[in-house]
Amino acid sequence: MTRRIVQAYLFEMYKVIHYKYSAMGPVLVLIAVVCAPLLYPISKDEVSDYGFIAYITPVALNFLGFLLLLIYSAGLVSTELASGTIRQVLIRPVRRHEFVLAKLLNGMTYALLLTLIVGASSWLLAWLLGELMGVTYGGELLFTREEMSNAYLLGLLLSLAPQWAGVALALMFSSFFRSPMTAASGAVGGWILIDLVKYPLGIERFVFSTYLEKPWAVFSSRSEAIALDWFPGVWYVLGTSFAVMAVCTALAIVALQRRNLSA
Amino acid sequence: MPTCISLNNLTKHYGSTVAVKNLTLKVEEGEVLGLLGPNGAGKSTTLYMLAGLVRPDEGKINVFGRELQRNFVSIARRMGVLVERPVFYDYLSVRRNLKLFARLAGHDVNVDRLLDLVGLLHAGNARAGALSQGMRQRLGLAHAMLTEPELLLLDEPTAGLDLEGVQDILQLLRYLAKDARVTIVFSSHQMHEVESLCDRVAILNKGELVACERTDALLSYDQTSVEVLIDGSEGAAKRLSEQSWVEKVEAKPGRLQVRLREENVHQLAAFLVTGGYKVSAIMPRRRTLQDYFLKVMNQSEKGAAS
Repeated sequence: MTRRIVQAYLFEMYKVIHYKYSAMGPVLVLIAVVCAPLLYPISKDEVSDYGFIAYITPVALNFLGFLLLLIYSAGLVSTELASGTIRQVLIRPVRRHEFVLAKLLNGMTYALLLTLIVGASSWLLAWLLGELMGVTYGGELLFTREEMSNAYLLGLLLSLAPQWAGVALALMFSSFFRSPMTAASGAVGGWILIDLVKYPLGIERFVFSTYLEKPWAVFSSRSEAIALDWFPGVWYVLGTSFAVMAVCTALAIVALQRRNLSA
Repeated sequence: MPTCISLNNLTKHYGSTVAVKNLTLKVEEGEVLGLLGPNGAGKSTTLYMLAGLVRPDEGKINVFGRELQRNFVSIARRMGVLVERPVFYDYLSVRRNLKLFARLAGHDVNVDRLLDLVGLLHAGNARAGALSQGMRQRLGLAHAMLTEPELLLLDEPTAGLDLEGVQDILQLLRYLAKDARVTIVFSSHQMHEVESLCDRVAILNKGELVACERTDALLSYDQTSVEVLIDGSEGAAKRLSEQSWVEKVEAKPGRLQVRLREENVHQLAAFLVTGGYKVSAIMPRRRTLQDYFLKVMNQSEKGAAS
């Protein structure tokens, strides 16, 4: 089974590489990062500019990037359903759940790509235009550059979990609807709706989107010379994200299993 | 011969509509079976259930002696499917599309040889999105043959093709059936295709199998319907119409069309010769699949009405 999922995943990657519009999302987040100094000016003034990175990363990744990720993932199955190419795939020795898992991996790779682009470009920009030294307070070195970059790297890795949950959520809508537009509307609308009602309903602790920016909290606090513990935030991020991933992926599989792929 | 496909009480509903009802059918290895029927008869649904694209509500499907649902992967490796109006990734070239699907199937394939077989070698670098319907159909057939399948399921394989294309595809299918011994199940509205290609035809109406016969038996000569080349056809027609063993006779200049009550061409020949008529030929009419199809459909409709 693993071999077939890998084959289906490579099949997905081949298509992504050859589809010119796949680059649109990464280019948009890159533009967002490049334009960030207009909103958050930085300069070579002997003061560390981690604040710039802490500002632009969540903006580019957790708002624009997440929106793009939802739209991209919502099209993964629905575009194939709408065009009919799914029939050409599923008459091959690939089971439907393997197809969904390959699509999930596709979305996860896309999330990883967006994250790496935002991470690399924001650090490069801060390094080129600003300063990246240790964080000091009252002349005392609180966090070294290495500690800051480690906090960022850990945040980067952790931020993948809620993004992947978003991929699974959008993938679920993608399997529900034959129209990519409806699937994207469902995924984005669902995300916004959950965010709107989670506080009045008091369920925010159990909703993965609450923790979209949590992975950056440690890095962001450190950039302001404030120490913050990773825990228990990490558990909430991982727990809610993987729960959503499991449930949404399972629902996506069930929806596709039940679908008749006639003309 | 071993059984390649075995359908047992297959039933499929779409909402309240019955697409296929209690379909039981066997296809032997190396056999070519044509599925005939009017629109909505259940031909495509049957093929798609066999391809694993549509799940039956009831019944069992066995292919190569194995249950389809449980052994889909191993069966799909040995099966090629041409779906109705095949669609490919528009932004990829014809060649890339085939390579991509071959890789998905875990099969190493000579794409150019395949394109040559379906007459699409010249368009190998064209984008799939730029292909005409006929070329798409050829690409669909190449896609179905990617893994050198032992079983081909073809939904209207010549739809959208021009006359030359139809001939090419039929020739290819004939080669696959006779020389490569590929089992083929295909649906079509074109009687002459089914006639020329199939060992057996199954006729579906409103989801039910209403007839299943060997083609050679259906296409035999009809000894009750004969054409006679004769001098003095008017006079002969008048005399024949008076005979009790003649059901109907129609005279045309130099020929007669006679319908006998029983298979008794000898009696007709003797009657005309002894009557002094100059007979050049007596030719029993060859039955066509269309005759059989219309007869079966008529019976089926009458049966449903009663």
